[in-house]
Amino acid sequence: MKKKLGVYICACGGNISDYVDIEKVREAVKDEDCLVLAKTTMFACGDTNQKDMEQDIKENDLSGIVVASCSPKLHLTTFRGVSERAGLNKYNYVHANIREQGSWAHSDNKVGATEKAINLVKAAIAKARLAESLEPIIIESKRSVAVIGAGVAGMKAAISLARMKDEVYLIEREGKVGGHLSALEKISPEGTDGRELLARLEKEIAAEPNITLLTNAEVTGTSGNIGDFKVDVTIKGSQGEMVKQFVAGSILVATGFNSYTPAEGEFGYSNIKSVITLPEFKALISEGGKADADGTMRLYYNNREVQSIAYIYCVGSRQVKGENKYCSRYCCTAAIQSSLDVREKFPNVDNFHFTRGVRTYGKQELIYKESNDKGDVYIQFPDKKPPVVSEENGKVLVKAIDILSEKSESEVVADLLVLVTGMVPDSDTALGNLLKLPKGRDKFFNEIHPKLRPVETVIDGITIAGTCQGPKNVAESVNSALSAAAKSHSFVSLGELELEPIVAYVDNDTCNWCTACSDVCPFSAVSMIDHNGKAVAQINKSTCKGCGMCLPVCPSDSIELISFTNKEMESMIDVLAQ
Amino acid sequence: MSRLDTKFGKKLKKYGATEFNRCYNCGTCTAVCSLTNSEDSFPRSMVRLSAAGDQNGIESSLKPWLCYYCGECSTSCPQTANPGELMMSLRRWLTGRYDWTGLSGLFYRSSLVTIIAMVLVFAGVIGYAAYESFDMERIMHTAHYFEMFAIMGVFAVILLPNIVRMWYLTVIKPGYKLPVKVYASSMSELFIHMFTQKRALGCDDNQARWFAHLILVIGYLTLLFTTVFLDWFSTESMFVVVLGYVVSAIVFAVTFVFVLGRIKQKQEIAKHSRPSDWFFIIWLLLMGITAFAVRLFIDLDLLAGNLWLFLFHFTILAQWALIIVPFGKWTHFLYRSFAMYFDKLQKSK
Repeated sequence: MKKKLGVYICACGGNISDYVDIEKVREAVKDEDCLVLAKTTMFACGDTNQKDMEQDIKENDLSGIVVASCSPKLHLTTFRGVSERAGLNKYNYVHANIREQGSWAHSDNKVGATEKAINLVKAAIAKARLAESLEPIIIESKRSVAVIGAGVAGMKAAISLARMKDEVYLIEREGKVGGHLSALEKISPEGTDGRELLARLEKEIAAEPNITLLTNAEVTGTSGNIGDFKVDVTIKGSQGEMVKQFVAGSILVATGFNSYTPAEGEFGYSNIKSVITLPEFKALISEGGKADADGTMRLYYNNREVQSIAYIYCVGSRQVKGENKYCSRYCCTAAIQSSLDVREKFPNVDNFHFTRGVRTYGKQELIYKESNDKGDVYIQFPDKKPPVVSEENGKVLVKAIDILSEKSESEVVADLLVLVTGMVPDSDTALGNLLKLPKGRDKFFNEIHPKLRPVETVIDGITIAGTCQGPKNVAESVNSALSAAAKSHSFVSLGELELEPIVAYVDNDTCNWCTACSDVCPFSAVSMIDHNGKAVAQINKSTCKGCGMCLPVCPSDSIELISFTNKEMESMIDVLAQ
Repeated sequence: MSRLDTKFGKKLKKYGATEFNRCYNCGTCTAVCSLTNSEDSFPRSMVRLSAAGDQNGIESSLKPWLCYYCGECSTSCPQTANPGELMMSLRRWLTGRYDWTGLSGLFYRSSLVTIIAMVLVFAGVIGYAAYESFDMERIMHTAHYFEMFAIMGVFAVILLPNIVRMWYLTVIKPGYKLPVKVYASSMSELFIHMFTQKRALGCDDNQARWFAHLILVIGYLTLLFTTVFLDWFSTESMFVVVLGYVVSAIVFAVTFVFVLGRIKQKQEIAKHSRPSDWFFIIWLLLMGITAFAVRLFIDLDLLAGNLWLFLFHFTILAQWALIIVPFGKWTHFLYRSFAMYFDKLQKSK
């Protein structure tokens, strides 16, 4: 049966029509085969036009539509929605991008832009003639989630999932849960004790029958796809290693961070004894005190009393020369909190902070004010001229340029220098490689969209939470953990999942299993199966993203991509080549 | 190169600056100040030096004296770090730093020591009166000479060396080598500012305060001249008698307004009164009132009651001349004008 198509050409309020003569485009395409309707519109995405389209589709009994407007990134779902509301299968709608690829790209050549737009619309019409109705792929989803990493993010996520009645496997590499939380004596801004938080979370986990906690456990193998991940966990125990296997509908990764370790000689680190990192300093505050005769607490490091402490900020973060360009977010606050803690515990200590501008954002600003109030001295050094550190009579001499004092040189002789070290990605990259999680330029795991899809990864069914995604403080880690838990829960809660039907499939008759397709597949969706005694490739419909990487590498041309079949693509090319 | 140090900041707290550490260097104070300019940028720069403990930087600076405390910086400060009061405290600290005897600093830091000194002077006056068997005429005679010698002595022994020290710290030590000609040609700056406080007019909305201050200075100097050189209490000249009444009335009337301001605390400048501020203004007020009353009692022939009144006046006078003038807030009169002079010298280079 011959298709009945409608075409809509959008002016985009001038964004398109100022350069592309849309009336001319309409004239040029209106007599194309199968076309029963060709309209121009000021805003295709506008409510009125959407309603008009719905009416057009119903009244003319259209079996396909073409919208020529902006990038499908913006309004693909809008017009799929229009189709569905009008009772038309949404895969019968084809999009032509005449703004980003037309008017904007060729604003210097109106005639050429119009010509190109005509061709793009004609190609889209050609594709629409061949477009087929498709139904989403439905797969079964196991109501269980594997949470990898039992720091504060993993623990909170596990509790949250368990309370939504999901079965949770909480997997921790170390012998005990908590991660960095146990090292935090006071957490800004309310001064909560990290160990108290940890005890509370441990208690809540123990009380949740839905949580299976595995410690000394590492994920050593995964296969499958969203709704059905098969996870191998290797558990080290007193009787050697054992491997446990289970199935999870979703995987939530919360593997945390490492503290930056300064290079040898970086601000005197490891060359000068009295130069330590922030985590080492935190440990020293809890352990390095002694009371003297009159009961005053005094701080000792290497058996020498510490009375003046210098801090150098942004060590390993916001590097001018190194690779870590990002701000580690938590360290300004953590360092100032520590400097307040040390002052509270050892009243005769002086603090000198060498910063690159203090970033105690939000409520944390209050502790910066408190620190100032108590007489801590802040020096702001220029980004490109960091402080110079040397040893002087067993003490540390820190020299810096203070941009807040007319760039004058300041120096301090300190008993202790604390390098305020930031967060770096976990040095153990095995899990990331195993799950094929993409990483950002900062080498932390990457979300799909930082604002709109902040906890999902491009691997369907795998979410990320906490500091494995980038530097965060405890509150922010918990926020992202709860968000990731909600997202993972949404993958498993209904027992089944709808997936996009645009996937690749193999022609078993012509396939000779040469592995070319499985070699290039970024999602490990291709595997070998036996077909009537012949080895052929099979594509997992739940894992395939329809990216099309396998198509051009196939020597026997045995793979087709639904909705982008050879026939459809060739018909478009024919139009464009005319 | 300055060495960071928190001791100086802690020390400044005893001079009245208790909140300046809150500063996060936004620079609002400098932006709103109507006296600051690109050459002399303050008060943020001074807050910064204070926080960093750069004592050398502060003692070689004249900026604290270039501020006339309108208080706008303090009311605009988002951190309530009170930069105006810091500038005031730096003036107190500098007064102590210039003073070779060290007494200024001691009095500023401790009101107890100030009170003890006041009591000692009082005891001295009473002791002397007893020694003279409370002979009114002799005491008045001595008081007259005391005033003359006290002025000269205090100036020669305390104030002059202190000004030399100020000159050394702000001109010589920082390395300004200037020919005598420059010293002479810049001299006008000194006298203009000493008697007019012209610079204070640059403060926003300060005309009334400047005028009141000018009247007070003229009244005070005239009263001093009338009592010391025109011998107001013993004179027969009708002109001098009336002049004395007028100027002493001016002194106590204007100071009364100032005292009232400090009690009501409506203006920023009057909100942070330290003991040194109270002593200065109350003693000035008492001096005006008692001088007026002493002459009134003489004119009304009420000599019997006048002895104690006179001893009270004499005590106030002695405390003023021996404590407040050489070591207290009175010195601002000199240091402010010399600061303008030295500033001119610094800039002539």
